[in-house]
Amino acid sequence: MSALAIDPYREAAPAPEWRYLHHLNPLAKLFGPLPIMLLLLFSRGVAIPAAFVALTLVLLLTGARLSGRMLALLLVGLPIAIAVLGVSFGIWVDPSRLPADALGAGIPLVTIGGWTFELSAYLTGLATAMRLASLLLLSLIAGLTSTGPDLARAMVQNLKVPYRVGYTALAAYRFVPRFGHELEVIRAAHRVRGTERGRGPIAATKRILGYAVPLLASAIRHAERVALAMDARAFGAHPTRTERHLVPWRVRDWVFVVGFWAVSVLLYWWVIQAGLGSLSDSRTGGG
Amino acid sequence: MKFPTRLLLTCAAIGAAAGVLLIPVNHFSAAIFGVFPPGFAAVAGIWLLPIVVAMALLRRPGVGILVALIAGLVETPFQPYGASAIVTNLMIAVFIEIVFALALYRYWKPWLFYVAALVFGALYAPYAVASIDLPNYGLGLQITFFAVLLLSEVLATWAGLSLAKRVERTGVVRGLAAPVENGRVVRAPKSPAPATGTAAVDPDAAPEAS
Repeated sequence: MSALAIDPYREAAPAPEWRYLHHLNPLAKLFGPLPIMLLLLFSRGVAIPAAFVALTLVLLLTGARLSGRMLALLLVGLPIAIAVLGVSFGIWVDPSRLPADALGAGIPLVTIGGWTFELSAYLTGLATAMRLASLLLLSLIAGLTSTGPDLARAMVQNLKVPYRVGYTALAAYRFVPRFGHELEVIRAAHRVRGTERGRGPIAATKRILGYAVPLLASAIRHAERVALAMDARAFGAHPTRTERHLVPWRVRDWVFVVGFWAVSVLLYWWVIQAGLGSLSDSRTGGG
Repeated sequence: MKFPTRLLLTCAAIGAAAGVLLIPVNHFSAAIFGVFPPGFAAVAGIWLLPIVVAMALLRRPGVGILVALIAGLVETPFQPYGASAIVTNLMIAVFIEIVFALALYRYWKPWLFYVAALVFGALYAPYAVASIDLPNYGLGLQITFFAVLLLSEVLATWAGLSLAKRVERTGVVRGLAAPVENGRVVRAPKSPAPATGTAAVDPDAAPEAS
């Protein structure tokens, strides 16, 4: 993997004005969905996560700049994945542990020998798959539309994380491509000494484990040199510092976070009111 | 609590390495989740590894949390769970740090790391149970899940401790790690903070390191 391919500082072309998710503070996109994710983790049934999958898809499709590949993944790959995951989760469900009046109980889908795959087990698996899909989509709101360095900057500028910590994180992004170079050096050194012997998976595992200690040691040594260079430039001498890249928290971020919570609570309440919240109800279907 | 720049950047190096390690692990666990849900218990320990390495290597308060934060920030753009990885990592690190904070960051004996891993396992289990709906699975599978989870955490702790020991032997954290004697932090006789200088590192100290 080339160092260029994973340069996290690479500036993306600015997103169009109406792709609103790109113009929000990364923290807003993190804290908006976070409580909802916790809520979803403890939800049961297909309907509630499905409602949030729909809500998040609408947000992503309208607010995020999506590549053709990502669009295909979201619109085609995701439904297929949910349906298939429903089967693989469902297989592990023990039907005798489901309530007797569970939706689809006693309706066999597949029978192999003495084992029956019941509809109720599939729906339980589907609920888990749907829940995971909704969690994944909610985290994509921030994941697809903000960069790591911006998140680190926002932590310093908005969350008042000490800037020495924030800039340490920014430096850490630069260490990643550096590791590639260090690894090349270590591999060359091992080859020269003839320690790279053997073929097959065991020898390969041994070889990779052999890289761990020197890689970590050289990474720490590099970090020391960077620290020395930063200290020499009086890093951290003052309690505050000026920022080159500003990541402001604006009114629109409040609107997004509060709006997201309000819409989510309404959606949750509506789904429960409509009697779709539990698995034993006959109207759960869909997927 | 003042973090010397060298300590911060060393945590950044460990954190960046952890981020790179955790990216494929995240993909793997997301994939195995679909095939065999409790299978991700087997890799759950890997999240502990960088935190154990950092804490065993540096033996200073807060390094576990800092490494977890940086690992989360580094892996965020490259893995399927997005920025929630930061929250996950921080949660794990806080669980581990609590154990050492209770010991006032003075005891760094290996058994305390295993206790911390078990504490993390106990606090993490309800979360895992909720996320994969474990009570619906058969009893045998539930027991297997917890046994594998426990084993993976203990193995990761062991691996982290031995990795930290071997890295420490290369001499790269000399003057940075808190000095210990028999697992207890010993106060340096003179008052200036021992960790601020970078001069203590001899570049030729560890020829076997590369």
